[in-house]
Amino acid sequence: MTEEKEITEDTTPLVIQQLREKFGDGLLSDSEAKDGVVVVVNKDKLYPLLEYLKADLSYSMLVDITAVDNSNLEEELMKYDYARFMVVYHLYTFEGETPRIRVKVPVNDQDSKVPTVINLWKGANWLERETYDMFGIEFEGHPNLIRILMPNEFEGHPLRKDYPLRGRGERERFNFDKQNA
Amino acid sequence: MGLANNNIQSGASTEQSDGNIITTTIDKVVNWGRKNSLWPMPFGTACCAIEMMATLASKYDLSRFGSEAIRFSPRQSDLLIVSGRISIKMMPVLKRIYDQMPDPKWVISMGACASCGGVFDTYTLIQGVDQFLPVDVYIPGCPPRPEDLIDAVMQVQRQIQKGELPKGVEAAP
Repeated sequence: MTEEKEITEDTTPLVIQQLREKFGDGLLSDSEAKDGVVVVVNKDKLYPLLEYLKADLSYSMLVDITAVDNSNLEEELMKYDYARFMVVYHLYTFEGETPRIRVKVPVNDQDSKVPTVINLWKGANWLERETYDMFGIEFEGHPNLIRILMPNEFEGHPLRKDYPLRGRGERERFNFDKQNA
Repeated sequence: MGLANNNIQSGASTEQSDGNIITTTIDKVVNWGRKNSLWPMPFGTACCAIEMMATLASKYDLSRFGSEAIRFSPRQSDLLIVSGRISIKMMPVLKRIYDQMPDPKWVISMGACASCGGVFDTYTLIQGVDQFLPVDVYIPGCPPRPEDLIDAVMQVQRQIQKGELPKGVEAAP
């Protein structure tokens, strides 16, 4: 048994080993995907982990920030204490053997706030605004957290699963005077 | 003058004219001039705009049909070509551009998305610009071929020559 365990540990990507060592219980799960490595992290440890990935493991490029609404997926919900959303960060490095890493953080519906990462990657600004616009996730510390895709007076967050596909009548009801003001 | 004769002549030319004088009405002459100098305002937001560009370029050459002066200022144009998807955020912009165009003005709704929303039956897409703008000619297709756009422009020209008012004027009280 011990031999088998050693073999599996050897094939674990170095990034995962380093993260496990540094964050311990803060790391809720880790796995390998086709395109790289996926880690799920506790919300308290999100910023330190991203900072560590950027500063010490040279993940200098933030590819994307988005979210997933799991409210229709009982299976996914059960995994992380019925947290409704999963905020996802895609990072890339030009060095090392694991160029791509995906960091996920479960976020509760009642307290859908995560810290902003603009201090680490300036490109996070618009990505966080988009995630706020579409899912209603609030990024604490963001300097200008307003809608980026939908009109300012739009109500609701359209990529949430409880938002109807054809909308709530926004596309028929129009107040041109208000919008032109 | 041969072509003009067919379109603008009204009543019989007198025997004394020897073909150098035609009798007509002011309206017909004005309409004849108007239809051959349409100045389109292109409002391209999607792939239909690519077909529109092809229509304007050398191969299809819309200018052969008296419609070459593409204006990107609504204040200088009298034909609005809506080509592409119009989202709820873009509709006020389109409406304002239409309002800025001087009368008389015509509107072509190009392609499935502008005419009915196309395949995008979602919260953010206007299901047909004719809910908010008076559309004179619709073009089906996804996207329509340049020939279809030329046909639509010629349809507008026929309406003008006939003296039909644009939908926008008919709708006004």
